[in-house]
Order: sequence, then structure tokens, then C-alpha cells
Amino acid sequence: MTLMAAVDASVKVAGLQDLTIHRSVSSIPFAGRYRLIDFALSNLVNADINSVGIFASQPFGSLIDHIGVGKSWDLDRRKEGLFFLPTTHQNGGIATVGSFRDFEEHLQFFEKSRQTHVVVTSSFVAGQLDYKEMLAHHLASGKDITEAVGASGSLKSYILSRRLMLELIRSYREKRILSIEDLVNLKKAPYSYGVYEYKGYFAIIDSIQQYFKESLGLLDENNRRLLFLPQAPIYTKVKDEPPTRYLDGSNVSNSMMANGSTILGNVKNSIISRAVTIGINASLDSCIIMQKCTIEENCELAYVIADKDVYIEKGVKLIGTPERPIVLRKGERVTKEDSQ
Amino acid sequence: MNEKVVAMLLAGGQGSRLKSLTYDIAKPAIPYGGKYRIIDFPLSNCTNSGITTVGVLTQYQPHALHRYIGLGTPWDLDRHKGGVTMLPPYAEIDGIKWYAGTASAIYQNINFLTSCEPDYVLILSGDHIYKMDYEKLIEYHKEKQADVTISVLEVPWEDASRFGLVDTDDDMNVIEFSEKPENPKSNLASMGVYVFDWKKLESYLEDDNNIEESTHDFGKDILPKMLSDHKKMVAYPFKGYWKDVGTVDSLWEANMDLLNPSAGLVLHDPAWRIYSSNPQLPPQVITDSGRVQGSMVNEGCVISGTVRHSVIFQNVLIEKDAVVEDSVVMSGTKIGRGAHLSRVIVPPDVTVPENYRLLEPAKGITLLTQDLIDSWKESGQQ
Repeated sequence: MTLMAAVDASVKVAGLQDLTIHRSVSSIPFAGRYRLIDFALSNLVNADINSVGIFASQPFGSLIDHIGVGKSWDLDRRKEGLFFLPTTHQNGGIATVGSFRDFEEHLQFFEKSRQTHVVVTSSFVAGQLDYKEMLAHHLASGKDITEAVGASGSLKSYILSRRLMLELIRSYREKRILSIEDLVNLKKAPYSYGVYEYKGYFAIIDSIQQYFKESLGLLDENNRRLLFLPQAPIYTKVKDEPPTRYLDGSNVSNSMMANGSTILGNVKNSIISRAVTIGINASLDSCIIMQKCTIEENCELAYVIADKDVYIEKGVKLIGTPERPIVLRKGERVTKEDSQ
Repeated sequence: MNEKVVAMLLAGGQGSRLKSLTYDIAKPAIPYGGKYRIIDFPLSNCTNSGITTVGVLTQYQPHALHRYIGLGTPWDLDRHKGGVTMLPPYAEIDGIKWYAGTASAIYQNINFLTSCEPDYVLILSGDHIYKMDYEKLIEYHKEKQADVTISVLEVPWEDASRFGLVDTDDDMNVIEFSEKPENPKSNLASMGVYVFDWKKLESYLEDDNNIEESTHDFGKDILPKMLSDHKKMVAYPFKGYWKDVGTVDSLWEANMDLLNPSAGLVLHDPAWRIYSSNPQLPPQVITDSGRVQGSMVNEGCVISGTVRHSVIFQNVLIEKDAVVEDSVVMSGTKIGRGAHLSRVIVPPDVTVPENYRLLEPAKGITLLTQDLIDSWKESGQQ
């Protein structure tokens, strides 16, 4: 029994708008150097799944730029490998995972495959789902569709046979179901439904609050230990950044730091992405700073999410709350006047 | 560049003064700067200079290098045309021919060069740390209509006798070439970077091969011969950071230079990136008790102790109350609680036990090998 995978990168997640103006949910930066889809893709390739279709709707420029031909995940293959499968939806897809309309548009991907079973997964969950184990569980249970469920809910990952997948794609209109997630939630007859109990760490990123909470949750050593397993690496696009520089006078504690940054100021309880500059006497507490941001000297930031390329001029003070972090959109420039 | 340039990168050196760091890898494969290997510098210079055909000549302990370079993907050298070619010594009808000297290494790959049909051949050394635009060097070579151009660097007079030195006239024509002279007449040192017109080089290599007493070396044989034949030999003045790391002390110094902005080597330069093979590791974490000052730290590290003025490679674990200062810690090393390291290079994958102290702090830099640590354990110091 062998697996192929359909990754749903077109699903619409309403609560993340500030971060999805220029990108799909799947390419939101997470954990300093990753994009959300890295976790889904890495879980798949770590289970030796080599035939992966990414179903994506606009705007997917950022996702294509990130994925390329799939080299970082070893999915640049002669046979099978990575398939980028754009859908014709405007303004994002539907709100549940595994849209049959999307699958129907690329029916051949399923028809031509030599694999017996299909994984359908979302692209906004970070975890370490072991699909080999899940497939074994699925086969032993004899159920038609198996859903991975963790302590705090569904991981929105499913396994079913390719034969059943084809049957569903051909009949979803008359059955009046939109997606795999719908089907499983409604438990439509005549199919049988099983649950694979997932015991590891996972984070569902479906709102800004969740994004903020789960990002800072990685500062907990236990979470990191469960997410970053040496035997199951999380792969991402390589950027060739040099190691991060901590200059004299900087003070960093309880923080996760990606490469390529230059730190002169004070950082605590924060996630700092690649190639960020933090100026002298700037103070950051509980912030998520994405790649290539510049925070000039004497800034004071707390509970702030700064998307890529944000520039914060000197002396700016921005204080959010854990429940309502301040979100700065991609490329925004904040001056002292703005923040007063 | 319309003309075709092939770079030949000499990467067979042993670097015996680097002690156990080069027992099982060649000098160009030595880790440097928190994530790189020395050979990343000339390779990245090629990529950034638009040179897409590179031969890498290996001999001493080549496996790590061959594996590391692979198809050349990190340097964009996995090309349909050209790309990187690994060139170890090989056997032919009349036996195995080891590379006796720098020139013989090139001579024995004449077939490779001929198949590339180059106009110019750029000779590079795989064990120097520097950023250089080779395109400018080749433009200069063409402008001067030289047969050979030697890239040179001003060195302090007191160090001059350690280098191959060139003496020039006002137009940078080389009038004398002397290999490590006792009484230097010039402080322009050859960087081991040469541009040759291929046809000229080919004939000199052929001739040199037939001279029995030749050491088959560029500095000792080929260049002096070309000079005595009145070939046009010019010097290209290179300005910038350049370091030949031959010893443990100089490897340490070169790492410390990265922490000193006035030393002149900047890695945080998007316009001239140094490419390297990137392991897939999570970001580094500085924990609640961690303190990092004046240092560089790579991915995968967890720092719970104090790090001052040091270069920390990937996947290093520094436990609480451990102190690392003025040191270079290579990948996969674990430093236990309360250990105190100062002015050391820690090779990859060493475990430094709790409360470790150097027995006799050396005057220079200590290479903190597992053997040294084991003898500390046996002495019952802990």
C-alpha cells in the first residue's frame, strides 16, 4: 500500500487577513525560518511520499517562489515528485479542507497515479504527523476514511483509498458535499469513518490570536523538542544567510532567532526571522518579527507581529496585548508620529 | 564576458599545521565562520563573478570534499554546460600520476581543459578566505594584454618573506618573482590567483613536464620560466581582506576577524553572498539564562550559558553556567554546565564535560580535542 498526497493550499482562513494580503495561508512565515506549508510537506516526504500535489488559489506568487520545483523537499523527481496545481477560484477557495471542485479540476493527478491511497492535508497546521503509522492504522481499521485527531482537535489530515477519492470527485455534486472535511464532519452514508489518534505537538494557525500564541509557544522547550525531531527534519527553502550576529551591548533572552540577523538591542520572549536588524537600545518583548524587518534604535515594542520588510523608525513605541497583538502589514513603515 | 574562462581550483592541500583538524579532511574543507568551509569562498567568488566552469583538483583526503561539493548545487554550479568537475589524480596506461606540484596538477588535467576550450584559465587556491571579483581581474588581464596576470596583495614587510613576492615596475609589469625570499625586495605577495592565456599556459605546462629537475610548481617553475622568456607578466593589485589559514592560531584569528567590523570581511552582504551547503536545522534559541555578546551563532544552537566574542557553528549546545569566550566552537559540540573555555577551537562533535577547565592555558590557541578532554578526565580534576 502506497501513498500520494493532496495538499490544500487554497483553503480560505478568514482570521488571518492581515498576513494574507499578498500570499496564501500556506506561505505565512512561521517559527523564524519556515513557511506554514513546510510542515505539511516535510511530514509527507519524511513518510517517503514522493507524489505530492499542491492545490493553490491566488495569490500564490509567494507560494511558488517558496516551493520552486520542490528541491528543498527532495521532490524534484523524474517520476512523480511535486505537482503545482492551481485552481480557478478567485479570492481564495472554500473554507473547508479538501475541495472536490479543486480536485476535479486536476482529476488526472489522481487518475494517473500509481499509488493506492491518498493523503489529503491542509497547509496551516504545524506538527509531526507520521503518515506511515497513520496508513497502517487506517488499513487495520478497515474504515473508508481516517482523520487525524489530536488533543485539541482535528489536524485536518485524512487518508482514503485512491479508488474512493476518484468516486467522490465524480459524485460530489449529487451528494451535495464540498470537501473531504465536510464529508468527514457530516459522516455521510454509506462510508465508514475512523480516527487516528495523534499524540504529538501540533499548532493550528487559523487566526491572528492562534498565530501569536502558537508562535510564542515554541519558546517552550517541550514544544520545540516535539516539533523539531532530528529524525524527521522540517525542510524549507534555503536562503544562504550567514550566522546571526550579536553585537556588544545586545541582550537576547528566551528567544528564537533565525540566521542572517544583526542584533544590537534587547530582545526577550520573541521570534526573530531571517535578516532582521534590531538597533541599539531598541527593546522587544513578546514580538514576532518576520524576515528583513528593520527596527531602529530606541524603539519599544511589545506584543507586535511585524510582517516581512516592515521598517520601524527610531523611537517608535508600539504596545499591544497578548489577546490583541498589533499587526504591521508587509512592507509597512512606521514613524514616531504614526505611533503617537 | 564573451571569452570563456575556466577556473581550476587547487584543493588537494593537507594543511598539516592544523593538526587533527585535517587528519581526515583536506584543508579547503575546514569549517570556518560558523557555517562555511574555506572552499566556499573561492567557489562563491566564481559564482558571483559569473564563472560557471570550475575544475576542483583534489588529492589529500578528498572524500569529504567530493561529498560536500557534490553536483555543485549550493554554488549554482549544477549546469548543463560547464558546472563543477571534481578532478582527483587518476591512473592511465603508464600508471597512476599523483599531483607532484601545483603545475603538474593542472598539466595532468590538460585533457579536461582542452575539452572546455577556454580562452583564459584562472588558477585558484581552495584554502584562502577572501571575497574577490574575478571578472575584474580578467578584464585587467585583457586590458594589459598580458600572458599571465598575478593577483597580489600588499603585506606587512615583516611578514613578506613568508610569501611568493613580486617586484614590479610602475606599470605593474612583473620584473622579478621570488618564492619566500630571505631578504624581500617587495611587499607585494602573490595570492596564488593567476590568469593565463590558455594556449600559452598549455605550452609551458608541456615544456615543464619534460624538465626532470622541475618541481612542477607555478611559483617555483612556471612563472620564473615565463619571466625569463620575457612573457608579459603583470600584477593585479587586490585590495581587501585575504587570509591564508595555515595554523590553528591563524584559523582562530580569521574567525575572530568576523567579529571585528574593521577587519574588513563582511559576510552580511546580499550583493556578494558566500554560498554553502545548508543543513536543515531549526533556528537558534537563546534561553532565559543565555547571554550572547559580540558573537556569531548559527542555526540549531541552544545557548543557555554565556557566550562572549566567539563564533558558534550549527547544532552547538551550551548549557547553563558554561562560559565560552574568545573561542570557535564547531558543529555538534556540547558544552556542559559550569565549563569555562577561553581562546580555544573546539573541533566538531566534541563533548566538553561539566566544569571543564583547560589544564594549562597555552600561550596561543588550544585545539580542544576529545583526547585533551579525556586526559583531563583521567587526571581527576573534576
